[in-house]
Parts: sequence; structure tokens; C-alpha cells
Amino acid sequence: MTSGVDPAVLYPDERAVPTPVLRARRRRSLTGRHEARLAYALLLPALLVILGFVAYPFVSAVYLSLQNKPVGAVGRFVGLANYAELFRDEVFFQTVRNTIVYTTVGVSLKFVLGLTMALILDQKRRFNNVFRMLLFIPWAVPVVIAALNWRWIFDDLSGFLNNFLITVGLTRDIISWLADPRLAMGCVIAVVVWQGTPFYTMTFLAGLQAIPRELYEAAEIDGASVVRQFVHITVPRLRTIFLTTVMLSTIWTATNLQFVLILTRGGPANRTEIFPHLAYVTALGARRLGMGAAVSLAFFPLLVILIVLLTRRMLRQTDD
Amino acid sequence: MPRTTSGTRRLFRWIGNGLLLVMLVWTLVPFYWMIATSLKADREIYGFEATLVPHHPTLAAYVRLFQQTPFLKYVRNSTIIAVSTTAVSLVFGCLGAYALARLRFRGRRLIARGLVFTYLVPPSLLFIPLFAMMSALSLVDTHQGLILAYLGFTVPFCTWLLMGYFRSVPLELEEAALVDGCTRLGALIRVVLPMSLPALAVVAFFSFTQAWNEFLYANVFVNSVEVRTITTGLTLFIVEDVFFWGPMMGAAFLSALPPLVVYLVFQRWVVKGLTLGAVKG
Repeated sequence: MTSGVDPAVLYPDERAVPTPVLRARRRRSLTGRHEARLAYALLLPALLVILGFVAYPFVSAVYLSLQNKPVGAVGRFVGLANYAELFRDEVFFQTVRNTIVYTTVGVSLKFVLGLTMALILDQKRRFNNVFRMLLFIPWAVPVVIAALNWRWIFDDLSGFLNNFLITVGLTRDIISWLADPRLAMGCVIAVVVWQGTPFYTMTFLAGLQAIPRELYEAAEIDGASVVRQFVHITVPRLRTIFLTTVMLSTIWTATNLQFVLILTRGGPANRTEIFPHLAYVTALGARRLGMGAAVSLAFFPLLVILIVLLTRRMLRQTDD
Repeated sequence: MPRTTSGTRRLFRWIGNGLLLVMLVWTLVPFYWMIATSLKADREIYGFEATLVPHHPTLAAYVRLFQQTPFLKYVRNSTIIAVSTTAVSLVFGCLGAYALARLRFRGRRLIARGLVFTYLVPPSLLFIPLFAMMSALSLVDTHQGLILAYLGFTVPFCTWLLMGYFRSVPLELEEAALVDGCTRLGALIRVVLPMSLPALAVVAFFSFTQAWNEFLYANVFVNSVEVRTITTGLTLFIVEDVFFWGPMMGAAFLSALPPLVVYLVFQRWVVKGLTLGAVKG
């Protein structure tokens, strides 16, 4: 009886009660229970997936982090021992610093470049849509492929970068881009920026194109300079998009381990070690699942603030 | 004053053109290098004779890729997994989205909030407990295991996006169908879905590319060649720190094509999709 709702029950006296308010109330009182039952039935598959493959693993991550559990063996409850060990570990604090640098520098550069590109693509120009398409390609390519490609570009002996710099005559020595402790983090961030900028460009451009032209025309007549127009019209209009984009991208940047995994594996000397990669190495390299869960959870409090704020923001914006 | 404005405008135009050129080079050179490498013989790839432009272009790397590596097997696995994930998440998403968009019940807002929240929880937080779970259920090294794990992020995403779209389908048409004796499910299939084809297409292609591009779960939950997907297969061209860059770049180029084509077709909707509709594209 959940799926077959008799329309006669749904609209018992459709013509007699024309006001929508009354009709809605009547409908609700008569078929509310049917409707709710049907709704739960329709939602059941999606909810099962979410409970089984997101909620349950999330909760079990917490429990796992309180255990000493090697891969393929039964776990032993150890309380907070994993966290205690973590907070005594120098590598852990280095990872905290690295993750913060990696994320803030990466996100800031993506923001600046993305906004610049959006403003440029918003200017009138022939073939703009072709340029836009080309500039967005890095975003569409799988991250692994982007990372592998860049690892090959950075290659000491045969990579494009050294090859090119020597050919042009900018350097005579071979530079070990990814193995040099001073350069490695910069190189990883460059790849992150290369891959992530298009997303910023896309969202900012969408925002720019939604600003009514009349605002600029009016400002022009009032004699406002281009810079003033940018500060007083463009920036305020884009504020919500700025926030949403930065928050989304912060979550994605901070939790993506593919760049580090493929480019440097956290090296040299942990200089590029970031949280998700440390968790990966601990859980699968050292085969300590419990400790790995503790590493990712130690990072979670920061993340959860962003996720909660962003959830609220997205609900608000799509509701109206 | 107007003259100075148009003067600055011209200046900005030229700065814009210059920066655009720089950005195009920065964006495209890696792809050039990828394709150029895949067209070289080993002699031109490594060592002192390494070239910036292939002097003797050859398809040898591609021949090696198809004849000596399990590349096609990886492609097959990726296709099976991405298509299944897409199909299942479309069905689950449509049903759930219809309930959220059209029916009244307790907990509606809570579930909607849960969907966004789930979409934002990153896989790097879940892969360890999921791995333990997959091992316990003996789903490691199976297509099903990966598909189920992928549903964890495609289903909330599809449900949310479709919910927004279903809301924009005029209620009157559906009410007419209901009056004519359609059931709710009938109305969904005969009225709402046909009117939502563009949204369905977008959601389908999103699920497909997300499943096709995914790396972390595929890397952790799969070990055997028989199940391995293309993204993790690519990294196997690194054997004990010896790289086979020619075939690898060829494989990278070929496996970047499907998501790239899909993206070019759907680029207009990409923004709206990824931000769950929070940025109007």
C-alpha cells in the first residue's frame, strides 16, 4: 500500500476547496501517513548507502582509533594510547605544520589565479569560449594522471623542466625538484595549483556573469574608475561565491593525498608529509589500521568546522 | 574622466591578453609533454639524447601498451565499475530525490542536511574503516566492493542535485497525472523524469567521471590485476622505481580522454554540480 496512493484520496473534493492553503491542509491530514510511508520507502536505498558506507565507517573509525589493530588481525582495545603516541611524535607536529602551509598557500594561490583568470575571461574577446575550454582541462583530467604527468616533468635527468631550462640556458646544473628539501613542497603546491585553479575560475566566472551589466554602466556614468568598480561592485557581489568556493576547496585540498603520494611520498625527510598521506602510510605501509584511523581523526576537528559551516551555507543558498 | 576610464580599460585589456597567454602556456605545456613523450622512442625519452620535440614520432609506446600490459583489462574494469555506479546511483538518487522534493514527512530537513554533510566528508577519512569493513565482508578485490564504496559519495550527490531539479518541475502537470489515476511512482516515471532529462544526464556524467577518476579507494581495496581500475593501473608502470614513461604517458593520455570528452560536453553544468547548486552557473 506504500506506492499506490489513490488520487481520489489525495484530492477528495478538489473543486469544492479551491484555495491552495486549504487544499494542502486537507491533503495532509487525509493522506499524511501514506505519504510519509511512501517517502521513507523511496529514500530507503539512499539512506542504506549513506548509513552503511559513510555513517557506519565514520563511527567505526572512532572505535578503530582506540584499538591496536594490525591489518588482518583482531584488534585489541588500548584506549587513548594511539593518540598519546601520536602527540609525542615529532613527525606528527611536522605534519600539522606542513598540512597548514600546503593548504593555505595552495588555496590562496588558486584563489588569486582563479580570480585573475575569471576577470580576464569576462573581458570581451574573440575565441573566449575556446580559451575557457582549454583553461579548464586540468580540472577534468583524473588527479592521478595530472600528478604522474608532473612527476615526469620534474624528473631529474629526462624531465621537461630541466631539459627546457638547460636548453634555454637558464641553468647548467641538474635540479632535483622533488628530492631537494627546499624545493619539494613548492613543487607539490605548484601541481595542486595547476590542477585546482580551473575550479575557482569556473565558479568566479559564473558569479561575474550573473552581475547585471547596468551596475557597471551606472558606475561608469558616475565616473567611477575600473578599480573602484571592482572594489564596490564586483567584490561585494561575489562575496558568497568566494566563501563557498574557498571552503569547498579547502576541504578538497587538505584531504587529497594523491599529489603527495605520487610526487614525493611525503619526502624528502617528511618535508611534504600531510595528514591524509600520513594516515595512508600508517594504515597501509606500517599496517597499523588503528593508528592510521587516529591520524585521520586527529585532523578531523579542523575539518568538521568547515564541513558544518559549509553544509549550512549550501542549504541556505539552495533553499531560496 | 570617461577618457581615462577607457584608457585604463585598454590597458587592462592588454594586461589581460598577456596573462591569458601565460596561463594558456602553463596549463597546456604538461599536456604537450604527455603526448610528446608517448610518441617518442625510448632513446629520445631518456638520457643525453632526450628531446623536447619528438624527432622521430612513433606509436611504439602504444603498441607496447596494448600488447604487453594489462591496459585494456584496466579499461574494462573501470568501465564496468563506473557504469554500474552510475546506474545504481541514478535509480537510488531519483527515488530519494522525489521523496524529498514532493512528499511531506518527518525528518525531511534532517535528511537533506545529511546529504550535503555526507557529500563533504572526504574519502581520506573513511578509507581505513571501509578497508576493515571490506575485509570483514570479503569484498576486497571485487568489483562490487568498489561500486558500493563509490555509491557512498555518488548517491548523496545525485539525490541532492536531482532534488533541486525536481522541485523546479511544475507541480500542476504531476497533479493532473495523479488525478488521472497515476500512482506517485507512475507520476515520477511518466511526468517528472521525462522533464528532468538534462539533470539526469548531468548527474549521470558526474557519477561516471567521479567513479572513473577515483584513486584512493581503488588503490586500497583492490590488489589483483583482474579487478584493478585504470587510475591505479597507471601507477603500476612504476616498477621498483624504474619508470616506463612512454607507455605510461600513452596510457595517461588515453584514460584522460573519456572524462575529458564528458566534461567538454557538460562544462556548462559543471560549476552548478560541484557546488551542489550553491553557485549559479
